[in-house]
Amino acid sequence: MQAERAIETSGLTKRFGERTAVDGVDLLVPRGSAFGFLGPNGAGKTTTIRMLLGLTHASAGQMSVLGHPVPAERATALQRVGAIVEDPCFHPYLSGRENLRVVAAVRGPEAAKRIAPALARVGLSERADDKVKQYSQGMRQRLGVARCLLADPLLLILDEPTNGLDPGGIQEFREMIRAMVEQEGRTVFLSSHLLDEVEKICDAAAIVDRGKIITQGPIAELAEGGSRHELILGVDDVELALGALAASELVREARRSDEGIRVILSGTPRDAAQINAMLVRAGVGVARLEPVRHSLEQRFLQITSRLDAPVERQEVQA
Amino acid sequence: MTAAIAMQMFGADFLKLRKRRGTLIWVLVLALLPVMILFSVKAVQHSSNALKYEPAGGTPGFTDGLRLLCLFFGPLSAVLIGVEAGTGDASAGVFRDLVVTGRSRLALFASRVPAALAACWSVALIGYGLVLLGTFAFASNLHTPDGALIVNGLAFTLLSTGVVCAVAVGFASLTTSKPAAITALIGWQLVASPLIANISSLGSARDGVLSQALAHFSPVHIGGGRGATVAMSQGTALVVVAAWLAVFLALGAWRTRTMDA
Repeated sequence: MQAERAIETSGLTKRFGERTAVDGVDLLVPRGSAFGFLGPNGAGKTTTIRMLLGLTHASAGQMSVLGHPVPAERATALQRVGAIVEDPCFHPYLSGRENLRVVAAVRGPEAAKRIAPALARVGLSERADDKVKQYSQGMRQRLGVARCLLADPLLLILDEPTNGLDPGGIQEFREMIRAMVEQEGRTVFLSSHLLDEVEKICDAAAIVDRGKIITQGPIAELAEGGSRHELILGVDDVELALGALAASELVREARRSDEGIRVILSGTPRDAAQINAMLVRAGVGVARLEPVRHSLEQRFLQITSRLDAPVERQEVQA
Repeated sequence: MTAAIAMQMFGADFLKLRKRRGTLIWVLVLALLPVMILFSVKAVQHSSNALKYEPAGGTPGFTDGLRLLCLFFGPLSAVLIGVEAGTGDASAGVFRDLVVTGRSRLALFASRVPAALAACWSVALIGYGLVLLGTFAFASNLHTPDGALIVNGLAFTLLSTGVVCAVAVGFASLTTSKPAAITALIGWQLVASPLIANISSLGSARDGVLSQALAHFSPVHIGGGRGATVAMSQGTALVVVAAWLAVFLALGAWRTRTMDA
């Protein structure tokens, strides 16, 4: 039976002497999704990944990958995991194909059969026999993904995968990741400090700061932050509408704005329909009613700018 | 781990060494050029003054060639190959990508040794072939080695270069630094070993010098290198060689198993 979570950690901690790089991380990564691991540089993202992959030991806590406890069943857990940690590295004097042969040899006979399809998948078939030292950064990133595909991975762990890619390469990379999730059912765990990247690629994310998970859950819920919900209204009679809104229990606050009226709801965005009906009953013509979409960037900056404040824990159901 | 995977891993490690052209050129130069120079110079000397200089080949030429190949330049080649095998993955940053396959780190270490030996022995065999060529081509009226001596010489060539190569794999895996490992091993081989062997006041402590222990397995008397010969029994020599192998392979395996990748 497949585990429901691709990655699960509990109290995962890594200390380097006096410094705690990862501090009691509880991470839940659902299967079959693109999951962002978002945080500023030095937040502990790479250290967490290195512990998950057995590259460094955890100081405390438990973790499991694809349902297998790590490090106890590390070998089994990693059989169907592909990973790029930091920059993808290769033997520069070997060709792309030879570099894949090296890793395929370690993975087993099945992996060797996947070399050609993997190279084709990342668009490197024609350059596969060139030495890697002649590759651009983008080509190395793609070769790194091809190396991951040798495992026919159920889980891909990608650490800052778009570093060094040009805009075209980034777009291509996003499409490839989405296709892996949506068409092939793989799970992608993507660490990044780029909000835009996580927001565009991922279904859910965890925000990490100073070694702690601040919040995690679906991107939309993270952006909303589980706090206030807002609407923008365009009406024919602003004064009449403000009066009606002020009297409504569904509205916490309503004020004029450049766009019309900005309304902060007391409840959930589902109350928007009732507000519309209430305004119409009050004789107000509603030309526009639009939920305000908070961006993940706003939420991220809101969280990570509280550098001197105690870290607040908040969890949203993934 | 199955035999098929072990063979694949050996093949991959051998590929990495085989394709390392820069290192391979140096290895070939170190192993072959001195032997060629030795026989060439001796042949020129003999042809210019046959009364003063004996022919370049024959059993004396074989002995000189074997000494050069097995105690001096062959081990240097073996060091270069062993260090490349021991540090190649780590210095290229590829070691972590091998670790994340889930394969045991001990298996990753273990596959380096036979690959390094295969590369080292390929070169040593060419070197030994050159020694034999010089021995017979320039023998003139001198005795030449018989079949048994040739076989024993081959075995000694493989032993002396193979042990140094395996020790270099272990030491390089321990340090994970190519420059540090090369400097330390060549320094030990060329400077420290002869120096220690020549300090007679050290007594039986000199038995621990690897090149001295290895020299005891030579089928012809070649000394321990740089004029010094430390007397020890064949059993002691065997223990010393086994200890060098065990200690450095164990240290290399331990470091590979425990280091942060």
